[in-house]
Amino acid sequence: MDKNYAKPGEYKVNDLLAVAAAREVRDGEVVFAGTGLPMLAILLAQKTCAPHAYCVYEAGTIDGRSVHLPASVGDARCAYQAAVASGLFDVFGQLQRGKVDLAYLGGAEIDKYGNVNTTVIGDYAHPQVRFPGSGGNPDINSMARRTVFMMVQEKRRFREQVDYLTSPGWRVKKWPGGEWVSRQEAFGKMFRGGPSAVITNMAVFRFDESTGLMYLDTVHPGHTVEDVRNNVSFDLDVSRVKGETEPPTHEELHLLYHVVDAEGIFLP
Amino acid sequence: MSKRMSIPEAASLINDGDMITFSGFTIWRRPMALVYELIRQRKQNLHLVEVNSGTHGDMLIGAGCVKVWESCWIGQELFGKLGGNLDRKLREGSILVEDYSHYQMLLRMMAGAQGVPYLPTWASRGTDILNPDYDMLAKAGLRDGSNPKIPRHKFAIVEDQFYEEGTLIHVPAVRPNVCIAHVQQVGEDGTVRVWGQKFADEEAIKAADKVIVIAEEVVPEEYLRREPERNLIPPYLVDVIVEQPWGAHPTGNFGCHEVDGPFMRDFYNKTRTQEGFDAWADEWVFGVPDYEAYLEKLGFNRLQKLRANSAYKYNDSAKRGTR
Repeated sequence: MDKNYAKPGEYKVNDLLAVAAAREVRDGEVVFAGTGLPMLAILLAQKTCAPHAYCVYEAGTIDGRSVHLPASVGDARCAYQAAVASGLFDVFGQLQRGKVDLAYLGGAEIDKYGNVNTTVIGDYAHPQVRFPGSGGNPDINSMARRTVFMMVQEKRRFREQVDYLTSPGWRVKKWPGGEWVSRQEAFGKMFRGGPSAVITNMAVFRFDESTGLMYLDTVHPGHTVEDVRNNVSFDLDVSRVKGETEPPTHEELHLLYHVVDAEGIFLP
Repeated sequence: MSKRMSIPEAASLINDGDMITFSGFTIWRRPMALVYELIRQRKQNLHLVEVNSGTHGDMLIGAGCVKVWESCWIGQELFGKLGGNLDRKLREGSILVEDYSHYQMLLRMMAGAQGVPYLPTWASRGTDILNPDYDMLAKAGLRDGSNPKIPRHKFAIVEDQFYEEGTLIHVPAVRPNVCIAHVQQVGEDGTVRVWGQKFADEEAIKAADKVIVIAEEVVPEEYLRREPERNLIPPYLVDVIVEQPWGAHPTGNFGCHEVDGPFMRDFYNKTRTQEGFDAWADEWVFGVPDYEAYLEKLGFNRLQKLRANSAYKYNDSAKRGTR
């Protein structure tokens, strides 16, 4: 069946991000989602490619049937028709137990191994800016089977090395010594997976299984490989580009604007 | 003996230098009435240990009440992307920040609640949270055992003895002097009922030495005891009861009222500088004698528009977005 794709100019970049992120969900999966675009992604996925996916919100609601879009994971709207409204100990415990398949995360900076910084810019003890902090990002990113990062594409955000390693990618520090090792080595028997995609306003990136290095997977319509390269400050692997990112369909856009975010909270 | 007190009386039980934790989650169900009063009473050197923080923490930090902040997150969610006051105080070097991850902070609180010195976890391996160079309480010389509330180590990395599954992270218990909780209902003796998500309230309340509960309403114990399965905390764990409707404003409260987003955004925008914070506090904290006057200043119409629909448990009529 031919899909009725929207053309560039008929959708906004956040629409494409939400749609691309929704397509990462496989039907029946348990998905941890945070506030904003991640909520749009899981709610859209439940209405398209993954009608039997379960959504877990970090503040302690499981499989809600929100009729009004929550503006935060702590929102009363998350609990509407939920299977369970409990608390953090329940949902983080399930995460550690291995029950979470996929999670959406974000960050201010990312390096070529997918390590993410949401803590400080500059020296940790004397920062130039203090961000909100880790939240559950490193917990989720170290214990879910797959994670998808949604980020802004800028040279200063895609770095050789991040100022503070808040959330673990594919090559991390092994403590107590702090030596750089593969994620598999650092996590040992409790390795379950890790970052599987980074979706930005320009492209989708994935990671090489053996080296842990980020590579360019698809480029969004209207952008070129060169555009992406110019907005990354490390030597990006572009040898495996598959082509253009699949654009949103008119049906997906309709669902986003008229069902998922009918009030125009995250998609004004 | 009655546990009932006023907000100023309850705040006077908190000493300078106390370790404090709170109910709620980010910008939801925070004990704001008491937070304002702590600022008004000019508390000093507080040590906040929080599973996560939010507007309340950033406010106490801006007012200069806080010496140490141990947590994982601070901000105003959609209404301000940073903890603007924490950002400024940290850049100035006038506050100590100790970063843990969200689940690690929760396990620390759970260890406190369970009476054990630590709990193990897999969470947040491979990150700078475990970097010993970033153990800021150790760097400040505070892990020498002289303060019984501060553990000697930020973490321990310990081999599993039971299933040989590798090295786990042991996180130390948190044992706050006081937990300040805002809830929907409390009985006359102290039985606590929380509606909706419980967040980390049970762990925070049970970890603390002293518990102050501020409730939307105090109800007969007999009413709560008709359905004991809906209650969270028994009376003997609660030391002080305060009745304060709307006591979580501007944070939101399940079944009671929305987050006051414009109020929070105004706080965030105006308090990025210390002068801005001081002017904001002069208007909203020191400029009103008590919480009743604060609510009066907000006005009936503003509060009425935040009120939750009793079926949905949130407000379904106010315009939230652009459509």
